[in-house]
Amino acid sequence: MAETGLAARLYRGEAGLNIVGRRKVWFTVAALLVLIALGSVIFRGFSLGIEFAGGNSFQVPTSVGTMERAETGAAEALTSAGDGARVVTAQQVGGGGGGEFYELRTTQLDAEQAEAVRVEMGRIFNVDPAEIASNRVSEAWGSQVTNRALLGLVIFLALVTVYLVLRFEWQMAAAAIFALVMNLVLTSGIYSIVGFEVTPSTIIGLLTILGFALYDVVVVFDKVQENTRGITANNNQTYGEAANLAVNQSLMRSINTSVVALLPVGGILFIGAGLLGAGTLKDLGLVLFVGMAMAFLTSITLATPLLAVLKNRDPRIQAHNKRVQTRRATVTRGETPARPGAPRPAERAEEPVAAEAGALAAAAAPKVGARPAGKRAAGGRGGRPGGGSRPGGGKRR
Amino acid sequence: MAPPQGQMRPGRQLAVLGGIFVVLYLLVFFSGGASGGWKDRLEPRLGLDLVGGTRLTLEATNTLDGRAPTAENLERARQIIESRVNAYGVAEAEVVTEGDRNIVISLPGENRDLNEVGSAAELRFRKVLKIADGSGAIPAPAPTESAEATPSGTPSPSGSASPTPDAEASASPSAGGQGGGAPTPTPSETPAATPPPAASEEPVPQSVEEQRRAVEQKVGAEAWAAASALQAPADLSADPSLADKLKPFAELSGREVAVLPAQMQFNVPTIGCAQLDDRPPASISDPEQQVVACEGGYAKNLLDVAKVLGTDVSDANAVRDQTSQWVVSLNFTGSGQEKWTGLTREAFNNEGQACDASALGDEGKCRVAVVLDNEIISSPQIQGVLTGNSQITGNFTNAEASELAGYLSYGALPVTFEAQEQQNVTATLGASHLRAGLLAAGIGMLLVIIYSFFYYRLLGSVIFLSLILSALLLFGAMVVLGRQIGFTLTLAGIAGIIVSLGVAADSFVIYFERLKDEIREGRTPRSAVPRAWVRARRTIISANAITIMSAVVLYIVSVGTVKGFAFALGLATVLDLLVVFLFRHPIMTMFARTRAFLSPRVSGLGRALPARSEQAPPRNQRVKEA
Repeated sequence: MAETGLAARLYRGEAGLNIVGRRKVWFTVAALLVLIALGSVIFRGFSLGIEFAGGNSFQVPTSVGTMERAETGAAEALTSAGDGARVVTAQQVGGGGGGEFYELRTTQLDAEQAEAVRVEMGRIFNVDPAEIASNRVSEAWGSQVTNRALLGLVIFLALVTVYLVLRFEWQMAAAAIFALVMNLVLTSGIYSIVGFEVTPSTIIGLLTILGFALYDVVVVFDKVQENTRGITANNNQTYGEAANLAVNQSLMRSINTSVVALLPVGGILFIGAGLLGAGTLKDLGLVLFVGMAMAFLTSITLATPLLAVLKNRDPRIQAHNKRVQTRRATVTRGETPARPGAPRPAERAEEPVAAEAGALAAAAAPKVGARPAGKRAAGGRGGRPGGGSRPGGGKRR
Repeated sequence: MAPPQGQMRPGRQLAVLGGIFVVLYLLVFFSGGASGGWKDRLEPRLGLDLVGGTRLTLEATNTLDGRAPTAENLERARQIIESRVNAYGVAEAEVVTEGDRNIVISLPGENRDLNEVGSAAELRFRKVLKIADGSGAIPAPAPTESAEATPSGTPSPSGSASPTPDAEASASPSAGGQGGGAPTPTPSETPAATPPPAASEEPVPQSVEEQRRAVEQKVGAEAWAAASALQAPADLSADPSLADKLKPFAELSGREVAVLPAQMQFNVPTIGCAQLDDRPPASISDPEQQVVACEGGYAKNLLDVAKVLGTDVSDANAVRDQTSQWVVSLNFTGSGQEKWTGLTREAFNNEGQACDASALGDEGKCRVAVVLDNEIISSPQIQGVLTGNSQITGNFTNAEASELAGYLSYGALPVTFEAQEQQNVTATLGASHLRAGLLAAGIGMLLVIIYSFFYYRLLGSVIFLSLILSALLLFGAMVVLGRQIGFTLTLAGIAGIIVSLGVAADSFVIYFERLKDEIREGRTPRSAVPRAWVRARRTIISANAITIMSAVVLYIVSVGTVKGFAFALGLATVLDLLVVFLFRHPIMTMFARTRAFLSPRVSGLGRALPARSEQAPPRNQRVKEA
């Protein structure tokens, strides 16, 4: 039946993927990747943009002729006005429909020389110097941006930790921050390995990812918190199972969230890289794309398993887990349900649903009194004749 | 129907949203600063990377130890730079401080050369004690630097402004009392053997000491000893062996030269003006120190401590005198006038014979150098004890006089600056950036909408509508904020808005998935809506809170384009929350009452219902029991 297909189960939040149970695998994979990433960062380093090395770039309209013409002209201008500077790279970039440009990067010139070179280029190419765009950055600029970014990172981490501890609990805060750090490390690793250029825009983007990575984690943890509220009151599930269920239930949400977040960023990347060739948009788009994809993976595979590990050290949770296991042992079926990874989707789907109903009932119960909204919903439930729309739903796929 | 507590009254919330819209767009069209036709009033302020223009980021490099200037000084510097930029006659120039040490100058429109704007540094008036050849040449051809190398970041107005012999300061009202032979101590002149404790009042003297030791190692002990032993500028042609010894000094960079004691800088002939002019901007700003500075790139002057500072000048103007020559007239502040009178008396009388013969003007009077940054921009001979406003005369053209006056009146920057980043964006490039940014935003929005229609069917239209609403709110807010607090939309800002699209769409996903959860649990869509809302609200708020938190932190600490990005992201996220609360939920509540909502085919919720044949009844049962 189609309903057992992964997509369909994902759709209904019943994928039954054993994510928390396989945490050793994830942690090992993550540790390996971190080693690779760190190794690459240490031994290969990053390819830094001119903002870090210092340098100039000039954008000359393509109307001046071929790229060679632009390059020789630029070299000429540099010789006469640039005091030993030379052209480092030359590339053609699109103008997004507004004309095309050659971008010529040179070694560092001081402000006066840069201006002189621009005017000289205008003379050589016979265009108005006002048509030649130029950028000049000193080598200190990149490091200033970076220092600021690091400061921002520290402040943000402190704030967000406080927030998460208040909003959730310390284990969740720790797990979320851990996932965040992993995310940063892995993203920088990718940058180092692939050799994407690192510019100040990249660093901004990296900071934005922080918000996003946590966003994802918060969505999952919210569900975990809901599923495990009052978990010690009955003996159906261990904490890990409840957490795993939460991941599965919010998997579709996570996927959708990530896809929806990635789509516009993909738009930025497409336009930035495809049409503009270089600059803020491309740098931002790339780092956001890579980082958000990472954020999705780490929030699923690292944050929740780590949360389970941390929670399992809690004596109350430990005792609870033991009770669940002893109860299962006495029930003794043919197969121990304690291993939720068993590849039997049909039956698996059954089990957590039952547990979920219990857990949710437990969670919902106090709410009825606490929230007037719940009262009404309860009333609605009473009058529901089995859900009027259900049969229609059943027919679908 | 009277909704129970907790149940939203959709109508009221939509009305609130409508009210916000009306107010916002009234502000857009009629708030202060709105002018021109309807279309003009709808234009947000665009950053210069979108319209073309020049942006220059200056970083304060106040001291050798690299501490940030005080907020007061930075603000004062900003005002000075702003008035300087405005002196170009540029409309809409924007000069803002950023962080604790940056000043950003933005000039939309045409490209301009802003080099001088931030370059001017602290202005000092110092008596000229000695003058020596500053070519840095040694008999044997050696120095690598050519004398014409211009110092970075410092324009050299010196050359033309005041050829020394002509420039002279004359007392306009009267050459008041010339008496007062009070012996003014100019102590450091005589015992030149011991290098003055230069830079001793630097907050971190060690670092200067260490740098000096590093230089000592670089040139070698022998050269150092020879240089220290010099009492006066060495005559290398008379002593070729000394030339060899001192040769290593020719290799030093400006930064290294700057840490040497002033006497050494002056006495070692292999240190040339090229190196001296290349010193970092703040190197000789300390008024308590004797310093060495060059005039016109060839004459090396040993200057006394600064007795009058730029802050003592209240005003300077280029005016024509009786003979219709261009002169620069100077006014001092109250206490500044006293100091200036004292300085001119000293110079006029050459008290204590402080000025060396080499430094005296034609009439045997000392000269007073006007020092800006590392260079002397003018060194007029003092022609009297000046008790009132004074003039600097010379063969100035109008432009030269104006330039000098500009430096004198605005030159009192309490902070020195180095250009960190300069962007000249042409109008064509700016326009294409704008197009690309809007295109990217459009594509992003389209993709999100396609995805949501594909995935959530008719509910996609709610997403579509609220994205439109968010966009309208955001646009209005940008126009108003652009006018009220000078918010400018940059390319990075557009990127921030695009990213926020994702955030906005995410809050739907959370809500709708929650809705599906509720339906899966067996609720009717109608009763699921309020329940899903209560739970999704929590998640949405915490998730958005994190995004807002990161935007705020980024905005506060960051520099450069990051600020625009963070602001746009934060603004868009806040507005998204508004739309979530005031539009999405009420509209869903209303939607839930319609028949169409009950059709899974339309709402896309039906797929959430498990395809149950045999499973459904038992599940249902459990839910009910629970």
